[in-house]
Amino acid sequence: MRLSRRGLLRAGLAGTAATALGGLATGCAVPTGSTGRNMVLWYWSGGLSDTVVENAKARYDSSVTLKAQQIGGYYRSKLITTMAGRAHIPDIAGLKGEDMASYLPNADQFVDLRTLGADRLKSQYLSWKWDQAIADDGSMIGFPIDCGPLAHYYQPAVFEKAGLAYEPDDVSREMGTWEAFFAAGERLRKRIPGTCLLVDVLAVYENSVNQGTQRYVDKDDHFIGDQEHIRTAWDRAVEAKRRGLISDIVNGTPDFNAATERGLLPSQLGASWAAGDLKLGLPKTAGKWRVAAMPGGPANNGGSFLSVTKACREPERAFEIITWMLNPANQAQGFVDAGLFPSTPASYEMKKLREPDPFFGGQITMDVFGPAAEQIPVAYNSPYDVALGQPIKDEMKNVGVLGKNPDKAWSDAMSKCRRIADHLGVTY
Amino acid sequence: MAVIEQTPPAVAQPTPTRPKTGFRTYWHLYAAISPFYLLFLSFGLIPVGFSLYLSFHRWDGLGSMEWAGLSQYQYLISDSDFWQSIGNTIVIWALATFPMIFLAMVTAVMLNSAVRFKNVYRFAYFLPNVTSIVAVAIVFGSIFSTNFGLMNALLQAVGLDQVAWLNTPWGIKVAIATLMTWQWTGYNAIIFLAGLQTIPSDLYEAARIDGAGPVQTFFRVTLPLLRPTLLFVLVVSTVTGLQSFAEPQVLLQTTANESTFSGGPDHAGRTMVLYFFQQTFDNNDFGYGAAVAWGIFLVVVIFSIINWRLVQRRGEE
Amino acid sequence: MASIKGSRRRGIALHAVLVIGLLLSAFPFYWAVIMSTHTSTEIFSYPPKLLPGTHFLENVRHLLDNIDFFGSMFNSLLVATSVTFLVLFFDSLAAFVFAKFRFPGRRLLFALMMAIFMVPAQLAAIPQFVIMAKLGWIGSMTALIVPAAANAFGIFWMRQYMRSAIHDELLDASRLDGASFMRQYWHVALPVVRPGLAFLGIFTFMGQWNDYAWPLIALTNPDNVTLQVALSQLNGTHGTTDYGMVMTGALLALVPLLIVFAIGARQIIGDLAKGAVRG
Repeated sequence: MRLSRRGLLRAGLAGTAATALGGLATGCAVPTGSTGRNMVLWYWSGGLSDTVVENAKARYDSSVTLKAQQIGGYYRSKLITTMAGRAHIPDIAGLKGEDMASYLPNADQFVDLRTLGADRLKSQYLSWKWDQAIADDGSMIGFPIDCGPLAHYYQPAVFEKAGLAYEPDDVSREMGTWEAFFAAGERLRKRIPGTCLLVDVLAVYENSVNQGTQRYVDKDDHFIGDQEHIRTAWDRAVEAKRRGLISDIVNGTPDFNAATERGLLPSQLGASWAAGDLKLGLPKTAGKWRVAAMPGGPANNGGSFLSVTKACREPERAFEIITWMLNPANQAQGFVDAGLFPSTPASYEMKKLREPDPFFGGQITMDVFGPAAEQIPVAYNSPYDVALGQPIKDEMKNVGVLGKNPDKAWSDAMSKCRRIADHLGVTY
Repeated sequence: MAVIEQTPPAVAQPTPTRPKTGFRTYWHLYAAISPFYLLFLSFGLIPVGFSLYLSFHRWDGLGSMEWAGLSQYQYLISDSDFWQSIGNTIVIWALATFPMIFLAMVTAVMLNSAVRFKNVYRFAYFLPNVTSIVAVAIVFGSIFSTNFGLMNALLQAVGLDQVAWLNTPWGIKVAIATLMTWQWTGYNAIIFLAGLQTIPSDLYEAARIDGAGPVQTFFRVTLPLLRPTLLFVLVVSTVTGLQSFAEPQVLLQTTANESTFSGGPDHAGRTMVLYFFQQTFDNNDFGYGAAVAWGIFLVVVIFSIINWRLVQRRGEE
Repeated sequence: MASIKGSRRRGIALHAVLVIGLLLSAFPFYWAVIMSTHTSTEIFSYPPKLLPGTHFLENVRHLLDNIDFFGSMFNSLLVATSVTFLVLFFDSLAAFVFAKFRFPGRRLLFALMMAIFMVPAQLAAIPQFVIMAKLGWIGSMTALIVPAAANAFGIFWMRQYMRSAIHDELLDASRLDGASFMRQYWHVALPVVRPGLAFLGIFTFMGQWNDYAWPLIALTNPDNVTLQVALSQLNGTHGTTDYGMVMTGALLALVPLLIVFAIGARQIIGDLAKGAVRG
């Protein structure tokens, strides 16, 4: 290895100079957002319809360059860290519904959409959805993308082989309650060894919580995760585990995809947008799925928003773009492309939403999602829900995956919640 | 890399500078060492001071800081998750380090007696250590995959049951430890080999004349003389082992809506540093994150003292 | 006769064990090659594939579609080379001072430097992030390069090297010739410590190339990341992880590192071992 001293010095000095200059240049004018005529949009894979994004790019091409970036990993953490880092903050940012409550205390990081005239569009959107994006001070930080009515996705061929109901209407009726659903799962397992009704305990637990009108913390910052509604969901998941309905596969892993492709996980409970994930992740299963009503009744899971950040230099333009992207016609397109269920009731009657979907064997899935969306129970989402729901979910997983004693797990979860509540200033 | 400084720099050296005093005489020397100290000041000392300040506050990185007194530390002491992460770190470290030191020593002794191809072996054994941990963790993730991994295929081939490696607490620890053992065995074998080569061959000769067998020779001659090297290896693997982060982070990264720092089922792979990252950058709890960092610092200090004690005692013998 | 035969047999057994160890060391690399030449469907079938397949180019194409592989590789190269040169220059200069000169505060400054050595990196991570946010460096490579431009390990290492390698007579002679401090550093010190620099350079380069924790946090602009961060994004972005593609990325990311290692293997293996034994 030979190092020329002159080369070393030159490179060293050049490097130093470059970094020093770079530092100075950026130090003078800190670019917090995008530069040039760029308008940066952050979302996640499947968060928006590709068609709509492309159309928006073309439509606003004369005034801005819309740069749509799909962010991988843990989205909320990436966005908040970027905001704390004060650089490369997107102009328009998608906000996931389940994270909404934790963005609200930082409403000052976003442009209040009411100041851009959002109120005149309010009547077109589902009112419970709209209200989720309103902070305590009344400012509105997110514009509704979709909502996530839950449904029961299943593979009819496997159900038929197991001697279960397999037509959507029959499945909806015969597996309409959790009890009937579990009973069907036992039959499935007996008839086709190796198959499991549910991937993990959370499929029961979280969906059951979503079916309620209360979550972990109430409006007065009081912890309610120890009450009946959570305990019922917990017990139901424990029962599913006891009856042997839970697989030992980790959701979202290659093992999960492979098992689903092979029909070993023929039933999946998910929101309307989960259809997009199925189409994207398991293209080979096209035509093998149907949709039926959610066991135990309708509920919402997720559904997101678009926000305009304070780093945006042209909020009016950004607002114009997002309201166009999320108008009823484009929301209908979002449903077709990515299973994003519209938050605009006007879309429900559009022809696009009433077309047979080949991925679901030609079923008109709106027949299932439509009625479900109308009956969604509304719950209060607290900014502390994530922190106080996590220990319960963690212990739930310990029961599901590790076979921990459910009573021990519950009391561990409660004592952990008590400590966290104390730390966060939530009364117990 | 931690290198133990044993001889203090004060041991008299001929001093080439003329006996002048004052800053003016020495300004060029100060200038020459200044870059390090400037960088240290701006990215070391000030941040460390600031992190102490931060640990007495509540801050989400966006809003304003709120004075929290000692409450972050009070919470830290009673935080079972933090204690669990310390336990995880130590268990993984032990699972990786002891087999690794044993294997490395055996390899070194064999390399020392093998005459041919020594350089080929050294090159190949060192290779795992230069690879990027992200790439390696991805590869190991697929080796330990439940249904399609090589490990379970091997188990099945010999008639054993599959093990859900990355879905059980001990399986996770074993997988991470295996990765670390793989990465560091060759590296340490080469360091042991260098230690072995400093042992004068007449000592072996003498042992042979006294009628000692190879095993006796190893325990009577090799091991005592290898002790300084062994301690070096132990110190380095303690420092790196206590800070393990990328291995569990990449190996146990799940999909979509979960924290990428959660460390798998029951957080069995959540090491101290992983926990720090989770609290800080996933929960955006910068104040508590700072307190966790000081907790980690304390653990590292305690381990350093234990190491130092070991060195001292050996010195007295 | 018998003893010669016995020792030969022992030699063969020895090499057999060593070769097994060698195969274990090399196996994950081979496994990465196998995975990167198969499609995901082939990978997720039983029994596992043990021979290379034919889909390497297809996987490369998927990889290039999914991440800006060359862009992030360029970033990694930029960071690793600039840090390496800065470290070589600053560390050797400081080491020269500590090794060969006496001045007030020398011992204190040196002890301070050794103390810094012990502080875990994450202690400073949050404030570093905040400071860099104020400077506007978050999301750019500057955030990676500047704090790494000089380090205690390198100064310590070079100082140890220089103490024995640079003879005081040489320095005295050059001083009598009227050489300035920088001339002494440049013309007397550096030429004799080239092997030490080579080790430090390779060591720094590899360390920077593989650095992961800090870039993961500091590089917030998804269009502008280093290779390690890009790879981790590839692994588990969504349920659709394409293992063949991810493995191809992991494999290709190793190539520059292996080249550097192959160039400097003798140096780095030898020096590392020597340094450890001396320490």
